[in-house]
Amino acid sequence: MNEKKLLIGLGAVVGVLVLAVIGVTAVVIARGGGGGSGSNASDPKSSAAGPRVQGELRLPGDDPLTLDPALVTDVSSATYIVELFGGLVMLDKDLKIQPDIAKEWTISPDGLKYTFKLRDDVTFSQSGRRVTATDFKYSMERAANPQTDSPTADTYLGDIVGAKDMIRNRAKEISGIKVIDDTTLEITIDAPKPYFLAKLTYPTAFVVNKDQIDKDRRNWTRKPDGTGPFKLSEWKIGERVVLVPNEKYHADPKPNLKRVTYNLAGGSVLTQYENGEIDLAGVGVNDIDRIRDKSEKLNKEFIEKPELTTSYLAFNTRQPPFDDPKVRQAFGMAIDKQRIVDVVLKKIVPPAEGILPPGMPSYNTAIKGLGFDPARAKQLLQESKYQGRLPRVVLTLSGQGQNVGPTVEAMLEMWKANLGVEVEVEQVETATFFQDVNRGKYQMWELGWAADYPDPENFLDIHFFSESRQNSTQYNNPEVDKLLLQARTERDNEKRFQIYNQVERILVQDAAWVPLFYGSAPLLVKPYVKGFQTTGLVVPILRYVSVEK
Amino acid sequence: MSGALPFIIRRLLAAIPVLFLVSAATFALGRFAPGDPVTVRTGGKVSPERVEAIRESLGLNDPVPVQYLRYMGKFLRGDFGESYRRQGREVSEIIFPKMWVSAQLNVIPFFLAYLIGVPLGIYSALKRGSWQDPAITSILLFLSAVPTVVWIPMLVYVFVLRLDLIPTVGWNGIFSTSIILPIFVLTIGSFAGVARVVRISMIQVMGEDFIRTAHAKGLRSSTVVSRHILRNSLLVLANGIIASLFSLYAGSLFVELGFGIPGIGREMFEAISGRDYDLFMALTMIGAISFILANLVLDIIYTIIDPRIRYA
Repeated sequence: MNEKKLLIGLGAVVGVLVLAVIGVTAVVIARGGGGGSGSNASDPKSSAAGPRVQGELRLPGDDPLTLDPALVTDVSSATYIVELFGGLVMLDKDLKIQPDIAKEWTISPDGLKYTFKLRDDVTFSQSGRRVTATDFKYSMERAANPQTDSPTADTYLGDIVGAKDMIRNRAKEISGIKVIDDTTLEITIDAPKPYFLAKLTYPTAFVVNKDQIDKDRRNWTRKPDGTGPFKLSEWKIGERVVLVPNEKYHADPKPNLKRVTYNLAGGSVLTQYENGEIDLAGVGVNDIDRIRDKSEKLNKEFIEKPELTTSYLAFNTRQPPFDDPKVRQAFGMAIDKQRIVDVVLKKIVPPAEGILPPGMPSYNTAIKGLGFDPARAKQLLQESKYQGRLPRVVLTLSGQGQNVGPTVEAMLEMWKANLGVEVEVEQVETATFFQDVNRGKYQMWELGWAADYPDPENFLDIHFFSESRQNSTQYNNPEVDKLLLQARTERDNEKRFQIYNQVERILVQDAAWVPLFYGSAPLLVKPYVKGFQTTGLVVPILRYVSVEK
Repeated sequence: MSGALPFIIRRLLAAIPVLFLVSAATFALGRFAPGDPVTVRTGGKVSPERVEAIRESLGLNDPVPVQYLRYMGKFLRGDFGESYRRQGREVSEIIFPKMWVSAQLNVIPFFLAYLIGVPLGIYSALKRGSWQDPAITSILLFLSAVPTVVWIPMLVYVFVLRLDLIPTVGWNGIFSTSIILPIFVLTIGSFAGVARVVRISMIQVMGEDFIRTAHAKGLRSSTVVSRHILRNSLLVLANGIIASLFSLYAGSLFVELGFGIPGIGREMFEAISGRDYDLFMALTMIGAISFILANLVLDIIYTIIDPRIRYA
């Protein structure tokens, strides 16, 4: 009997507690959840889930790893940096080079000397100080200064006379950058390189404020003083980044949004979009069928646009068995890309033919890939110096976990069925992967390349010129080298692009890379968001956007 | 209680070699794991020559023991260093706000798990032999067998998308609606475990001779349960509490990822895959220190709960 009393007592305690919890929850729900408290109490309006402000654009985002234009290498950080900073020139939404702080420029007849005429009405967004030619010399020299540890200075500024000396600590300044007066800047490069201007659209060449950096070398990027269309208003690691318009922005169109809030906290992006918490969301392969369905209401908010990326299979051209081009061709021809695209990838991306993705200057639809030809593939394998008897073949992938993607599964199946070759898969953690790709440790690997600036040089020269540091396939073809050198200094763009087309044709046949798919960014955009588009490259896009709500 | 102070001092001294081993092992594991923060950060976009120059200037090319001593020198002065991944950010300014978020997120489920789990376990143990016990046990088994990653999309679908009661994501402090689903998922995951532990230890104690003696000497059943059985089962429970307290610190990766909560679990995950050496060192060290302290407290509590245990 007494045991029963104890049980009743226990039950009563639990009951009261559960009721209390439900009660508190109900109160919180009734209050709409707006009230915050504790250390994270914050203005509910500015929280990711809070009510939106008129004219606010709410985006999913990643934490920027840095907001220093000289240090950025990753796309997510660059997305913020191009909105906060600017340079001499910039890309518009069609990836055309447009004046930014330089209002015009002239190039000397020998193609070496660029004279930029700067606008006199550009100021830094936070301090209001006017930007002059001296600021540009300072900013580029700061990027080249070895103490800055810029990973990108040699790629984007290395063409300027004297820049490499400064990067290697052999000079105190970049001799090729001269300040003529406040609004005139003269830059001399080491050879006539038509793609040089395109490189200046990358953040490494952006202008930063010396006064601010001198004052607080460590922390200045917490309130970056740039010249971009937006200013940083708040950045809470892992929670949100808030941008507000720079009222003094000089170029047209000027920003139209009241504010831009990036939710960095993650969670299911599509759910947040459907629930009206964000205005834009990427769509993954698992949701694509549903979104493509015409009866689905989200279908009307769906846009698909190519990105300037190519995913590819790469071979180590010095290691057996891929030192024989016939083996490489056989492996390429044994893959039915169209079928993978249709069945596995649900047509989210197009199959790749050449190396350059559509949208890239010099992209040419006449360039065809090796094609799917199992019979020829088998024959090539027999004709190769291995005569069909291959050593162990390993495909290395970057990534963790047990599951290799269905795309890779499909390729393995196709090699087995069409060539009779069992390819082993090795998965390597990202950190290890990139290091070992650079060291030439793998036989065959799958990777993608995203353009940094819209010029074919950015794909073809850096990956396939025999002495390029990023030539990880160790491809070495004197004919290709000769053409690439020729293209570097050809000043007639049409002729230059023809040379690149020729290079691409050779490369596709020689199959150091087997281009697999071009990139695409399926996206949902709320109907009240106007002017948004994906661009393939990171460009300051937000100034074209307005929100009618 | 006379022996308490020397006992505590002895235990704290014994913690020093443990911390040394933990720090050295973690440090070495990080440094010897392939790849490094610079390679991860630049992701194949930067020439190997530049990567090498940056490694050099960050001191990553120095011998590992030298790097270790340099790190520990700073650590002992209370300087946790700078994040390699989030350039220009102090480790302490990244981890402490996130640890605070995780702690808040886990504190309610922690209490709920015990408030629901303990009575349920007691009830179940006392009802052994009748239908209630297997019924409760099977339900508990079912609830704890459904993984977090299944709960999250299910709950989100029902409460967020269909019923539209709650915003999906974000962290607006502990007193907001967006915390309800995470708390629910975390509680479901742990109260069943608590109930099972309580039930088993109760049943074990109930079979002991002294319980029979207690009954035999004519004590009322409720007295036997509360004074003898419960008290003796508390030992096991105290152990479990320390273990689950640890989740307050370690965070809960899947819940944080699924609901978009900026907690420490996610940061730790990213720090390890991004080779953010100093960040995961700091987390490991803080974790090790709090674990040692918690165990010390537990040992002291033992002597209070069970007078048979002496300081030794």
